[in-house]
Amino acid sequence: MTHRALSPEAIQQLRSQGCYAQDWSRVLTTSDCDLSRIRNVVFRSSVSVGANAGVANVDGVEVPCGLYNCVLMDCTIGENVRIAHIGSLIANYDIGDGAVIQNVAALTADAGSQFGAGTEVEVVNEAGGRVVVLIPELTAQIAYLQAIRLHDPAMQKRLREAVVQTAERCRKDRGAVGQRAAITHSGVIRNVLVGPHAHVQGVLRLDNGTILSVAEHPTVVGEGVNAKNFIIAEGASVTGGAMLEKVFVGQGAKIGKQFSAENALFFANCEGFHGEAVSLFAGPYTVTHHKSTLLIAGLFSFYNAGSGTNQSNHMYKLGPVHQGVFERGCKTGSFSYVLHETHVGAFSVIIGKHYTNIDTGDLPFSYIHETDGQSEIVPGMNLISVGSIRDGEKWPKRDNRKTTIKRDLITFDVFSPYVVEKMRRGRSMLQRLQENTPKEKSSVQIGGVVIKRLLLRKCAKYYSQAIERYLRGKVFDRIEAALATAKSWEHVRASLKAEKGLKEPEKWTDLAGLLTPVERLTSLEKSVGNGSLRSYEEMTNAFAAIGASYQKDEWEYVTQAFTQEYGFAPSAMTLDQARDCLKAFAEASASLHGAVFEDSKKEYDAFARIGYGLDMSEEEGKRDFETVRGTADTNSVVKKLASEREAMTQRQKKLEALLGKF
Amino acid sequence: MERSEIQHRVQKVVSSVLKIDSKEIAPQSNFVFDLGADSMKSVELIAGFEEEFNIEMDEDRAREVQTVAGAVDFIATYVQ
Repeated sequence: MTHRALSPEAIQQLRSQGCYAQDWSRVLTTSDCDLSRIRNVVFRSSVSVGANAGVANVDGVEVPCGLYNCVLMDCTIGENVRIAHIGSLIANYDIGDGAVIQNVAALTADAGSQFGAGTEVEVVNEAGGRVVVLIPELTAQIAYLQAIRLHDPAMQKRLREAVVQTAERCRKDRGAVGQRAAITHSGVIRNVLVGPHAHVQGVLRLDNGTILSVAEHPTVVGEGVNAKNFIIAEGASVTGGAMLEKVFVGQGAKIGKQFSAENALFFANCEGFHGEAVSLFAGPYTVTHHKSTLLIAGLFSFYNAGSGTNQSNHMYKLGPVHQGVFERGCKTGSFSYVLHETHVGAFSVIIGKHYTNIDTGDLPFSYIHETDGQSEIVPGMNLISVGSIRDGEKWPKRDNRKTTIKRDLITFDVFSPYVVEKMRRGRSMLQRLQENTPKEKSSVQIGGVVIKRLLLRKCAKYYSQAIERYLRGKVFDRIEAALATAKSWEHVRASLKAEKGLKEPEKWTDLAGLLTPVERLTSLEKSVGNGSLRSYEEMTNAFAAIGASYQKDEWEYVTQAFTQEYGFAPSAMTLDQARDCLKAFAEASASLHGAVFEDSKKEYDAFARIGYGLDMSEEEGKRDFETVRGTADTNSVVKKLASEREAMTQRQKKLEALLGKF
Repeated sequence: MERSEIQHRVQKVVSSVLKIDSKEIAPQSNFVFDLGADSMKSVELIAGFEEEFNIEMDEDRAREVQTVAGAVDFIATYVQ
């Protein structure tokens, strides 16, 4: 609806309602604007006001839309907006339809603000050098490229240009509060874009930032939050007195309970409560819930930090130049300490304090623990723990993102070419050590940690079983699908051929949650470097294409690794070999699954009952425990594992029968 | 192999892996409650028994063994 100037009668009415304008000719309203709902308002410079007949919900109470007790300067006010009780003023803002702004100290924007975009965040290395430039569209993958892939200056230059250009597009002369957003009971808000449907309530101070939000997943910024130079993505919540400076909070992430963060990136579904983060690249699903936890100078993803976790290097001489990498899926126990520089393999558990520089990238699924001040490793131990299985299942279920566009690309698979190839390398390393270590030696050093000689063979075996289960399992997934319709074994074999597209199918990388062959990444980087991919959108589309090729690339890896492991390609497998393959797959699966099943039941053994049934008889104590914890037979994870075991047996029988067709 | 020899060698492995004086290792000693073997030490114990007796144990069943005497009985099924 078009706006028009106020009539003399309208001006008179507004004056009688306590309103004042520097220049009434610059105050415009729509014809359906109810002037009786504009009271005690000071209009400075140009202000336009839309229809205001509706009601707004503030603190659970319906109150009339309109403008009450506020100073407005250079603002456009949409339809059915309620603005009331503004301490200082609202200046230079476009307020969307249905927005509510009430009891706010000030809401102002400076011409030319970038609203947090363009902020340089120093991650992974506390001393700098790994800069990520903030933009609203930032993805974990683009940030990874910016922070980690610094070996290629041509690519970095082009990437930087594209990102900075995107950040420049955020430069505006006016702030905005999106449709149906609500800002209430808050302090000073300066240079902040507030997206549609966002809830900003009780914040202390917001300065230079963007709050992205959408109707299907509103963003919440809550009580006591003090944030400067930030971007908060759709569906995130930042509450509970969180203090942020130079921070990105990704889609569906949760920050709160006095968490403080500086120079930190939290991508999709991260959670940060109570603790502190500095120079942190928190890839998807990085979680820290406890006090005294400091995540510093690190690259993590799918990481769970126990209370009091700390990483640092206080023995530095050239400043805090340290950095550390925990590959996906790591956990640190309470009060664990890891001396940076460090590189811990995927899905590892770290317990205790470690004062050597750990480098165990090729030993995934390990337990790294401390004995008498010495760091020890049990490679592959986490393969027989129920914890990693549970984690792998919970991550996809806990994807909080309800937005149509999910920016961070995430490969959830626990077992993938990336970790399986690492296990193959780790197994070779352990086997070599076993062959070369005399029996008189009780332990050997590996990657800054000690491994007991006795464990070399055993842990290599765990890797072998996991490799076998993965490779043979993937092949049998295909065989099972083909057997449903195949007329002959030849047809089945034909379905096992891989389309050759990769030069090095065994080399994979983890781009902050996205798994891909290294050559796909280097090809993308080349395209960025030579200008084939110029715009930010083209780059994110290229990453999406990489993500879409995962299954095809995975199959190419599987066929190559399978051939190397067993001496024949899946597509060359005879029926007898298929039967042997099925038997070996079933044995490896049953062995690992059996170990996990036993581990899950330990949660209910006598050890787990300590502290239950205080001052009770044994029988009463048992009942007390079972009231709180249930029994192994009723636990959902144990039950699921038991039913999986049964399903594995049934599947083996079914596959044997299907193979018997030919 | 005589049971007494198995018992002696089991105690030797347990003592070495868990760093416990072999005099403190009784047949009825529970690996977890009495000797403090956590899950990582359990893996090391299995590896130690396998090396000592040059056998490959069924790990699922081995993990169910709770006492030193139980380990002796279990290993006896492989070496006798």
